[in-house]
Amino acid sequence: MVLQNQLVIAIGVFSVTYLIIMSEKLNRTAVAMVGAFLMLILNVEGQEQAFSHIDFNTIGLLVGMMIIVNIMKKSGIFEYVAIKAAKMAKGEPWKILVAFSIITAISSALLDNVTTILLIVPVTLVITDSLELNPVPFLVPEILIANIGGTATLIGDPPNIMIGSATGLGFMDFLVNLAPVVVVIFIVTMLVFKFLFKKQYNCEDHNKFKILQMDENRAIKDMVLLKKSLFVLGFTILGFILHQSLGYESATIALFFASVLLLISKVDVEDIFLEIEWPTLFFFMSLFILVGALEDVGVMEYLAEKLLSVTKGDPFMSTLLVLWVSAIASSFLDNIPFVATMIPLIKSMGAMSGMDIGPLWWALALGACLGGNGTLVGASANVIVSGMLSRHGHKLSFMDYMKVGFPLMILSIIISSIYLTIFYV
Amino acid sequence: MNAEVMEHTMRLRQMGADVQVINSKMCFVVFPLEEFDVAYCYNVNKKGKYFLERIKPYPLALREFDKEQDAIDIIEIDLEQFKNAVKSHNIEAFIEINKRLNETLMKFEDLFLYYNVPKEETDIISIQLDQIDEEIRKTKETAKRVYFKKNPEHL
Repeated sequence: MVLQNQLVIAIGVFSVTYLIIMSEKLNRTAVAMVGAFLMLILNVEGQEQAFSHIDFNTIGLLVGMMIIVNIMKKSGIFEYVAIKAAKMAKGEPWKILVAFSIITAISSALLDNVTTILLIVPVTLVITDSLELNPVPFLVPEILIANIGGTATLIGDPPNIMIGSATGLGFMDFLVNLAPVVVVIFIVTMLVFKFLFKKQYNCEDHNKFKILQMDENRAIKDMVLLKKSLFVLGFTILGFILHQSLGYESATIALFFASVLLLISKVDVEDIFLEIEWPTLFFFMSLFILVGALEDVGVMEYLAEKLLSVTKGDPFMSTLLVLWVSAIASSFLDNIPFVATMIPLIKSMGAMSGMDIGPLWWALALGACLGGNGTLVGASANVIVSGMLSRHGHKLSFMDYMKVGFPLMILSIIISSIYLTIFYV
Repeated sequence: MNAEVMEHTMRLRQMGADVQVINSKMCFVVFPLEEFDVAYCYNVNKKGKYFLERIKPYPLALREFDKEQDAIDIIEIDLEQFKNAVKSHNIEAFIEINKRLNETLMKFEDLFLYYNVPKEETDIISIQLDQIDEEIRKTKETAKRVYFKKNPEHL
């Protein structure tokens, strides 16, 4: 009877919390925290057990990377690279877009997507302003590429961090299994923009001259800090590549090098900690508690049973189901709570059926990360760009974005389906 | 907000500026008096610099202080002086003249920045300013002093 009450309460609290987060009427972190601690107040589980659900590897990895990026961006490296690229493109709008898309893809593979967007958008706005062009045809591909690039690595997008941490899959596992398909999706996406929107990338010759007059050296704010940051980032990436063979968790690598950079960069530590995205971290921790409570009362096992009865344990069906459901759901919902819910569900499916769930993790990563491209609310990066554009007097409506984003998202999922079918199932 | 700061600093650096971005807190302070509001704006940062500006009833030029207490002391004295001034039957004229002086300053700046002004004209303006200065000095000699906590800084 007690267990049944706990089951009803856990499902009730989780569903209401999820619905309120989806409605976006209230702050998502505050809602998730209330939901998480309601699980404790209503005795679904005790504090010790609830806190044991928090994946501190995910949290540590996020904190470490936030510290490294916050220090690194103070050096002006990003503006330097962007101006240099725009000048190498000789001010040609299409070539600039290609260069910025490559920078965005690489950055979002190594940093998180939101950070990448916050770094590339200001530079793009300055460049399009100089070229006297509408920034929207530049920023929409950048949104898509940020989400696509982030799919390629363990640290590129929060769903991958969560999947990696929950499964033990390392940096190289993600790179080897996801980077090939991500490169294909990147090229196809750029070709679509090249052929369907080419008229948007023309400008007057005198405006190209303005780009050539820019001085990339002026963007460097602190050369010493720049060298230290690049040095530490290089070692951090090397650490991620080797972390499994060295026997370290990814958070250990990120936090160690973040603390080294804090020490040697001589930046104001308090300032750097002020810029850490605490609401994001508490959102993650609350979701871990919420999903952990559902897991403890047996909901995940029940759902896995139902899912297995639909797919009959067939790896092909299961993989495609996870891929497409994740993609469509992540187009409209926040992919972080979705992935937090799917991880224990897939684990239960594996435990109950004995099937190889390896391909399901890649399907989940591809679906959840690429699905964010479907609509304007699909990923944080999309919402941020829309807000920044409106502050600059440009409008990117939900429908305007969806007309481009949704078909391209579907195209990327079709490519992913073919890739998974050929290589995994 | 960080992205907007990044965009601004990139534009300003391309214009040749040296830009320092400092985390700080901005405080807006309003004292509602009977006749009007007295409002200030000051900035507190970890560099130990305080930038104080009066916004209402008319703007006071930006000032920099090394200690938070200095900013509070200035506000306290300024407010006391305004509370005294409110009692004067000349208060409306005083505020109106200050506003006009500010407007005149802005008009003069536009004249200087947008037009090539002949030297004779600037000489005329300068002579008229001397006359205003002299009028203020004469008035000070004959008027009764009402505030003693601190000496005037510019008279």
